[in-house]
Amino acid sequence: MKRNCCCEGIGLILRFYIFLIPFTFFFNLPLTCYSETEDVIIESGFSKDEINRGKRFFMGLLPFERNHEACISCHYMVSPDTLNWNPSAIDIARKYAGRDSAAFHRAVMQPSGNLMAASHQNFEISEEDVYYMKVYLDNLAVTGVEPMKPSINRILIFLFLGVLLTWALLDLLIFKKVKIKAIPILIFVAAFGFQLFMLFNESVLLGRSPGYQPDQPIKFSHQVHVTENQIDCMYCHHTVTTSQTANIPSTNLCMNCHIVVREGTRSGRFEIDKIVQAYEEERSVEWIRIHDLPDHVFFSHAQHVGAGKLDCMQCHGDVENMHVVKQVNDLSMGWCLDCHRTTKVDFIENDYYSIFEAFHIDLEAGVRDSIFAVNIGANNCSSCHY
Amino acid sequence: MSDEKKYWELLNEFEPLDDARFKGKREAVSSPTSRRNFLKVLGLGATSAALVASCKSPVEKAIPYFIKPDEITPGKAVYYASSYFNQNEFCNVIVKVRDNRPIKLEPNPKSVITPYGTSGRVQASVMDVYNVNRYRSPVRNDETIVWDEADNEIITQLKELSGSGRTVVLITPTIISPSTKKLIGEFTQSFNAEWHQYDPIPMDGYREANRRSFGTEELPEYHFENADCIVSVGCDFLGTWLSPVEFTSQYSSRRALFEENPGLNKHYQIEAGMSLTGTNADTRIRADRAEYGKILVHLYNQLGSQNGATQIEATPPPQEVTEKLKNVINDLQANRGRSIVVCGDNNPDYQVIVNSINQMLGNIGETIQFNRTYNHFRGNENWLEALLDQNLGAVIVWDTNPVYSHPMSDQIRAAIERAPLSVAITAQPDETSELCKYKLPAPGYLECWDDAEYKKGVVSVLQPTLHKLFNSRQAQEVLLTWMANPLSWQDYIRENWTSVYFTEQAANASSSDFWIETLRNGELVLNNTAASVSYNESATAGALQTAASEQASEGFTLELTEGIHTGTGHGPLNPWLQECPDPVTRIAWGNYASIAPAAARRLSIKNGDVIQLGNLQIPAFVQPGQADSTISIALGYGRTTGVAEEIRTGVNAYPLSRVESNYRRLTVPNLNIEPTGQTELLALIQGHQSMEGRAIVRDATYEEWKENPAAGNEMHEEIQKHHTTLYPKTIYPGHKWGMAIDLNTCTGCSACVLACNTENNIPVVGKIEASRHHEMQWIRIDRYYKGDENNPEVLRQPVMCQHCDQAPCENVCPVAATNQSSEGLNQMVYNRCIGTRYCNNNCPYKVRRFNWLDYTGADAIPNNRFDPANVTVDLSRMRHNPDVTVRAKGVIEKCSFCIQRIQEKKLDAKLEGRPMEDGELQTACQQACPANAIVFGDLNDPESRVSKLMKNPRNYHLLEELHTLPAVGYLTKIKNKS
Repeated sequence: MKRNCCCEGIGLILRFYIFLIPFTFFFNLPLTCYSETEDVIIESGFSKDEINRGKRFFMGLLPFERNHEACISCHYMVSPDTLNWNPSAIDIARKYAGRDSAAFHRAVMQPSGNLMAASHQNFEISEEDVYYMKVYLDNLAVTGVEPMKPSINRILIFLFLGVLLTWALLDLLIFKKVKIKAIPILIFVAAFGFQLFMLFNESVLLGRSPGYQPDQPIKFSHQVHVTENQIDCMYCHHTVTTSQTANIPSTNLCMNCHIVVREGTRSGRFEIDKIVQAYEEERSVEWIRIHDLPDHVFFSHAQHVGAGKLDCMQCHGDVENMHVVKQVNDLSMGWCLDCHRTTKVDFIENDYYSIFEAFHIDLEAGVRDSIFAVNIGANNCSSCHY
Repeated sequence: MSDEKKYWELLNEFEPLDDARFKGKREAVSSPTSRRNFLKVLGLGATSAALVASCKSPVEKAIPYFIKPDEITPGKAVYYASSYFNQNEFCNVIVKVRDNRPIKLEPNPKSVITPYGTSGRVQASVMDVYNVNRYRSPVRNDETIVWDEADNEIITQLKELSGSGRTVVLITPTIISPSTKKLIGEFTQSFNAEWHQYDPIPMDGYREANRRSFGTEELPEYHFENADCIVSVGCDFLGTWLSPVEFTSQYSSRRALFEENPGLNKHYQIEAGMSLTGTNADTRIRADRAEYGKILVHLYNQLGSQNGATQIEATPPPQEVTEKLKNVINDLQANRGRSIVVCGDNNPDYQVIVNSINQMLGNIGETIQFNRTYNHFRGNENWLEALLDQNLGAVIVWDTNPVYSHPMSDQIRAAIERAPLSVAITAQPDETSELCKYKLPAPGYLECWDDAEYKKGVVSVLQPTLHKLFNSRQAQEVLLTWMANPLSWQDYIRENWTSVYFTEQAANASSSDFWIETLRNGELVLNNTAASVSYNESATAGALQTAASEQASEGFTLELTEGIHTGTGHGPLNPWLQECPDPVTRIAWGNYASIAPAAARRLSIKNGDVIQLGNLQIPAFVQPGQADSTISIALGYGRTTGVAEEIRTGVNAYPLSRVESNYRRLTVPNLNIEPTGQTELLALIQGHQSMEGRAIVRDATYEEWKENPAAGNEMHEEIQKHHTTLYPKTIYPGHKWGMAIDLNTCTGCSACVLACNTENNIPVVGKIEASRHHEMQWIRIDRYYKGDENNPEVLRQPVMCQHCDQAPCENVCPVAATNQSSEGLNQMVYNRCIGTRYCNNNCPYKVRRFNWLDYTGADAIPNNRFDPANVTVDLSRMRHNPDVTVRAKGVIEKCSFCIQRIQEKKLDAKLEGRPMEDGELQTACQQACPANAIVFGDLNDPESRVSKLMKNPRNYHLLEELHTLPAVGYLTKIKNKS
């Protein structure tokens, strides 16, 4: 009798475990996925040798002795951990994809801005080398950068734990090699516990992306614009006090300044050229969205910045000191509600709140010293969900 | 109290016995599911869901404008003044545009014609713009061509044909646009063309009668707000007749009953079929359709005897009708100059008699005036002659569909096919355009420039609110191109306005200021030139003779009426309109032949039995209050072209109508009913017709009310006394939202239902789902019968979520997806709902709606989509209000008191640092209500209108004995019975 019970119990656990595996796998899957590559720009029609020769030159392998740095030392193939202001290889490839090798040669040898002139000194590159490099870059524009190998540490750890606990379980029930039963039990509990912990963490993060810091199509630095050049947030995001959305500036708004400002101290001309080019081609810049709430949440910037007079930084973090914008807060509901509980309302100045008579009496009588957003219904479900 | 009133029990007897309607349908949905299978499906489902959801962790893009237009702020709506016109519906509207998409139509409060409310059709018309069936580019036969090609070919042929003496015929609906009329005038001159206007349900008989009686063909304006006594003989002036939105506002202003405004009007309706107007009447007199002539003659004779008119020999109407007409005659005589008599028949003889009665009563110049006369309904039957003529060269059909809506459909079809050149200019394919050689796509009215003079001297503008979606051209632009006029249509209108109207005003000094001002207001009111008409009695005698000598009908008389939602045939294209149940029968999706209970019993016909009427096969529906030998069928159904196959419902009854002495008649005498033995599904939305003995709609008579304002509502006070509780009273610190609905002013027109549909992204579920009571509308207008089944009294009640303070739904939700907000709202959180439907079961008002299937396409799994009307494609989704979540399968939804509007208006007040004003915030239903029956506001503010109404002795709450403490109050129905 007893044995049967035990078997059933273990069977259940086993089934549960098998049920969990696909879940875990898919929770981890986002980590292994990357955004799709851009559309094909040109058709590559070069031989492999030509491409490889260009690649070797670009990587700095070909002219064995040279006086200048390899191209790749400034123009990276993949986005590095540290900020790199220079245009990346793929950026260059795309920009010159439609032009001929002579134009490319001119661009390399006759730098267009001070920054580029400083780094392109002592260039002795033959036209042939430039041709092959162009071939390589044209090919790159078509194929795109090879994706980074995904980090599979977490899956490995998870699978390893799985193997471990399977072994512990089997030993406990069938092999019985380990004399001290506490060891496999302990291993099982620990491994299974850690797996659950991993699962929990992954599930909590589902749909949230704190720390998200994607590369943008233009290396636009808020630090340069806000801190160094003292431009107010609301010069560009001018609907923030009146509309639900803080608008992303349209191309023509960028050109208010960049009609004059054509070279950056860090990025040179290349990045600013992108916005100029977009303007000339009459198109919008397709930024990557960072702060993105689910569709069933109705958040209004006008409510928070216009009426509530909050500072942008309170939610978006220290954007004025970011070269690349990063999502600082997790934008979870708990985070919203917590803030509502501690944020005071401009209760006396704003006449809208005059209808809250009981609160005004409390304030005068000293029963309350201030009114928080939560008191006036900020944490009602229907404040955000409708 | 309620014991004395015996509420009329439901027509159980006419329900099909073996519920044949659901055969097969139910089985398809249920499948044998064991726990094991369930787990398998769950495992697979979860895995695939995880796969679908996580594999593509999408990179969202944020794409700004290239150059942001000044007038567009992302996330904020802009409003443009425009107008809606279609057949008998005209409304000055304000178009709400979000990110360049019109999403909602609101009444223009500055309008002198329709300052309050719109009709349901106006509300639903947003959907028409985003209709997937629209023509997208010019078509020659079945081949897509470019505009230049079409223009060149058509111009050449037009010139050839008119040069060789063949006629060129332009058929349009009634054109009320002064600029378009001018343009058409120029066009007919340059191409030697004939222009004819055609109305599917015409009023040319009325115009002819006015010519005979008053020497003018104008249709007068009716002032129902000044009429103390209204007598309508089969005239559905609140639903479909002449200008229903305007009339509903006027009528309801006299039904709003308060201590300070006690002048309730008295409304008699003499009719055969139950019309919306009839159900609102104080006294409804049931008479057969074939008796209308006799009744009018009788009224004339009886009133004439008191006013010195000559009598005419005539057989009086049946005894029971004559008996009831005595009161009518007394009241009319007592209210001389303050009454209106109307008749809803296109027979000019009838109308001459009505004119003469009104003249006799001194109503002309008082309640009926010829000052701001109506410009619509200019259509007549004269075009047929030109079209059927052998000399026909070219026919241009402009947004009109005679092949569908005319009894001589076959001849018209043949004529169009025979014509050397046939051109259709229309937005959506229809039966007529499909026959034409050239099909030229026109934009919807929200993409157009236009003007409109609906009533004389009140000129409105239409302006485009979105870029043309397809490669379309307005008909006017087409004509300008053909005439090689270099002006754009917009400039043409402007020039016309500058030359005609600019001089008639003084407010603006420059013509561009004047134009901008007009666009802002949407309407220009010109000085009223009071027209004097002279009455001529000489025509009356002949009319009386004809009416008196009418043959009695043998067998049944068929009466064809305009469908309140489908109109003359545009409605079926719009699934919202089809899904909105008829306010009288409460049937959605399709038409039916209404027959009287007595006749049904005699012929043993049950609901849904298909009967044969002439050439027509149509399901029967047993309608209490229907005259015994009259059958009523709604027109506008049975469209086949331009309507998605899934939503082709009903049958086309136009072929049964007749042309008699050049006037369209919508009655057919001498018909017999032959059962065919087949049955058809009727999507009857309301299962119960009676109130099951409960005081749901409380009513009293005017006399009782005068003695005691709380008449009929005595139990309210009693129940209030019992509202005690041990729990602490909930405190609503800021606002406490509430709504009051005046059952006396509500006519049941359903504009609120359709406004709510538009505002809150309500999905379309289709006929089968609707017949299973899976409809999703957040408001329903319950209709109850009371009294005799032959002529019951009708009581109506709009019911939406009551936002109870002690809400039974809240306590049973296992995941707290529905709860009470600090502003007294019963909030529903879709993303938290897991679909147990406990709340639905526990709601005593049955106002919660469950997404049984994925009606919206919001589900993560695309195969789940259930979209019978094809309105979840990307184009149709452009209609969505971006401020309201589109709900997915498996969640409950319900009225939110338009929380998105509450949030918006609260924010506006906060940003401006001022308290909210009463009336500033309107819910969508309130805004659309032409009767002003709905009042929304803050119950914490004792001065607000809603607070005052809640203290009115007529106010009560629905099922208040349950101590749910609803935030919605109803004011009792008071009928002015005699």
